[in-house]
Amino acid sequence: MPASDASTRAASPLLRPPAAPPPSTDEALRPPDARQGPGPIPAPLLDALDVGINRLIARTLSGSRRATGVGAGTELSQLRPYEAGDDVRHIDAAASARTAALHVRVHVPERALTTWIVLDLSPSMAFGTARRLKADVAEGAATVFARLGLRRAGSVGVVAFGAPGGPRVLPPRGSKPGMVAVRKLLEQGVSPDEHQEPDALENALARTFRLSKLPGLVVVISDFRDHREWERPLGALRLRHAVIAVEVSDPAESSLPAVGRLAVVDPESGALVRVDSSSKRLRDRFEQLERERREGVARELRRLGIHHIALSTDQDWLIELGRRIG
Amino acid sequence: MSFGNPLWLLALALIPLALFAQRLSHRRTRAYAVRFPAAATLQQALSEGASPSWRRQLPIAALLLAIAAIVAAIAAPRVTHRVPIRAASLVLVLDHSGSMASNDVRPTRLQAAIRAANTFIDQLPSSARVGVVGFSTSPDTIQQPVTNHAAARTAIDNQQAGGGTDTGPALQLALQMLHGGKRSHPPAAIVLLSDGAANLGVNPVTVAVQAHRERIPIYTVALGTPGGVLSEGLFGPTVPVPPDPQLMAGIARTSGGRAYNAHTEEYLRSVYATLGRSLSTVARERDVSAYFLVAAGVLLLLAVLGSVRTAARIP
Repeated sequence: MPASDASTRAASPLLRPPAAPPPSTDEALRPPDARQGPGPIPAPLLDALDVGINRLIARTLSGSRRATGVGAGTELSQLRPYEAGDDVRHIDAAASARTAALHVRVHVPERALTTWIVLDLSPSMAFGTARRLKADVAEGAATVFARLGLRRAGSVGVVAFGAPGGPRVLPPRGSKPGMVAVRKLLEQGVSPDEHQEPDALENALARTFRLSKLPGLVVVISDFRDHREWERPLGALRLRHAVIAVEVSDPAESSLPAVGRLAVVDPESGALVRVDSSSKRLRDRFEQLERERREGVARELRRLGIHHIALSTDQDWLIELGRRIG
Repeated sequence: MSFGNPLWLLALALIPLALFAQRLSHRRTRAYAVRFPAAATLQQALSEGASPSWRRQLPIAALLLAIAAIVAAIAAPRVTHRVPIRAASLVLVLDHSGSMASNDVRPTRLQAAIRAANTFIDQLPSSARVGVVGFSTSPDTIQQPVTNHAAARTAIDNQQAGGGTDTGPALQLALQMLHGGKRSHPPAAIVLLSDGAANLGVNPVTVAVQAHRERIPIYTVALGTPGGVLSEGLFGPTVPVPPDPQLMAGIARTSGGRAYNAHTEEYLRSVYATLGRSLSTVARERDVSAYFLVAAGVLLLLAVLGSVRTAARIP
C-alpha cells in the first residue's frame, strides 16, 4: 500500500488505522481466497514416510551416494575392540571401562542430505473444487518433504516459480532456520491472477540444477499445466539427484459438468471462454484432451525414470503421498 | 410495397440499441466468469468445432428479426396488386390498309399486328369483353365487344391488307360500340393500331375529342418505320408508306390515352401485352401487416425454443 494512502486513511477518525503489513512479505504473492491449509500432518505418518523416502534416496545399494566430504564423519557406526593401528583418540572411555577391554568408536562419513523443493506458485494453483485448493495440497507436500529433508542434519532449499518477479530461491538451510524459511514462503500464498509465464518451470529446474552441486533429493511440486520444455532440465537433474515429481490436480480440471452455458476465465492468461457445457461432444472432447495431456506428463516422467506422485484435491493427499512413497 | 405509417419504421432503431445492450452485457461476463485453469484446453476443444458460433447467435438474431417484423407490421405495410376490372370493354381498332403489307416490320406489318393483338387478348381476364373493328377504306370487320374472346381472335386473324386508311369513321364506330349511345357505360378503352396518315373521312382528332367527353381513352400504336416502303409487284414502283406518329400522338393526347411508336414486332408485342394488362386490371393496395405479425410470431417462437436450450442457465 502506498504511504500517502496509508496516511490519509490513518487521518480519518472514522476509519481504523490499517493493520501494519507483516514484515518482509512478498508483494507479488497473495494467499488465495479459499485457502484452508494442508491440514494436520501427524508425526507417525511422517515417520512412515521417512522410511519410504530413504529407500528412494538410497537407491538400492548403500554407499551409492557420495558423502559431503572425505574422512571420518560424526555419525556413530559401531563400537569395536581396539586393534593395533587405530587412532587412540577414538577410544571410547565408557565402553572400555564397562567391558574391561579397549574399544574404539567407528564413525561413518555423514550422510547429510540436501533437499531441493521446486514449488509451483502460478495462479492456476489457486484452484480447487473438492476438499482443498491445489495450492493447499502443494503446501502440504512441500511441508512434508521439508520436514523429512531436515531430519538427520539435512538441509532444505526452495526454488519457487510462477509468480511475478522471477523464481524465489531459499538457499539450503538446516533444522529450525530451514523450516522457518519454508513456512514463511508457503504462508505467503501464490501469484495473483493474470500472470503468465510458460517457461517458468523450465527456468526453475535449470536454476535448481545450477544451485545443487551435491547429489541430493529434488522434489518438483507442480500441476505441470501450461508449462513447456521442462523435460530436458528435469532429465539433467535426474542424472545427479533422486527426483520426485508431485503432480497436483483437481477433479474439475479433468471433466466438465453439464451445467448449461459457462463463462470461464483462464487465471494465467486471463482469456475468457464461453462454452455450452450441455454439449456432450464438447464435454467428451474436453475430457479426452485433458486425459491426453496428463498421460503425456506421466509418460514423460516415466521415460525420465522419475518417481511420479499424482495428488488430487478430492482425496486425503497425505495418505495418497504415503501410499505412493511407502 | 409501401407503408401506411412509415414514421413507425423509426422504431427499427431499437435493433441497434438491443445489439449495443447485448454487447454491454457481454462485457460484464468477466464479472461472473469462473476461474478455470483448464480454460486453454476448453478453448481447444471448443475450436475443434463442437457447435458453430452462428448457432449460439441464432436466438438473438431471431428475436431481433421478430422485433423488426413487429415494427414493420405497426407501420402498416401494403402491397400493390392488380385486380380485373369488372365488365371492362375494350375495342381493338386494327388498320388493314394496303400499306400494312409493307415488310419493314417482320414478317409484315399486318402479321405482326395480328400476333400482337392475340397477345393482347391473352393478357385479358375472361371477364373482359373484347370487340374488334378492322378498317381500311371503311370499317369492314366488326365484332361487338363480347366476353367470348375466340370471336375476337377469329375477326383479327381474318384481316387482309388492302385499301386506304380511314381512321376517323373506324374510331367513331368503336366509340359507338362501347357506349352504345348511353351516358353511363362500363369502363372502356380503345386500342388503335395504324400505320399511316388518315386520308379519308372524318378527322380522327374530332372523334378523339368526343371520346374524351365520354371518358373512353384511345391508346394509339403507330406501326412501322419511317423508311417503310411498299413494292407493287416484282418490278413495280416502290411507294413510301411512313407511319404518322404525330397524328397518333394527337389522338391519344386528346382522348386521354397514351401513344406508342412500334418499329419492331417485339416492341409491338410488348406494347400490346402491357396495354392488355393495364387496361383490363386495376392496381389495388392491400394491407399485409397480418403476414408480418405471423412471421414475428414464428420468429419469437424460434427465439424462445433456441434460447431455452442454450441460454436458460445463464447465471
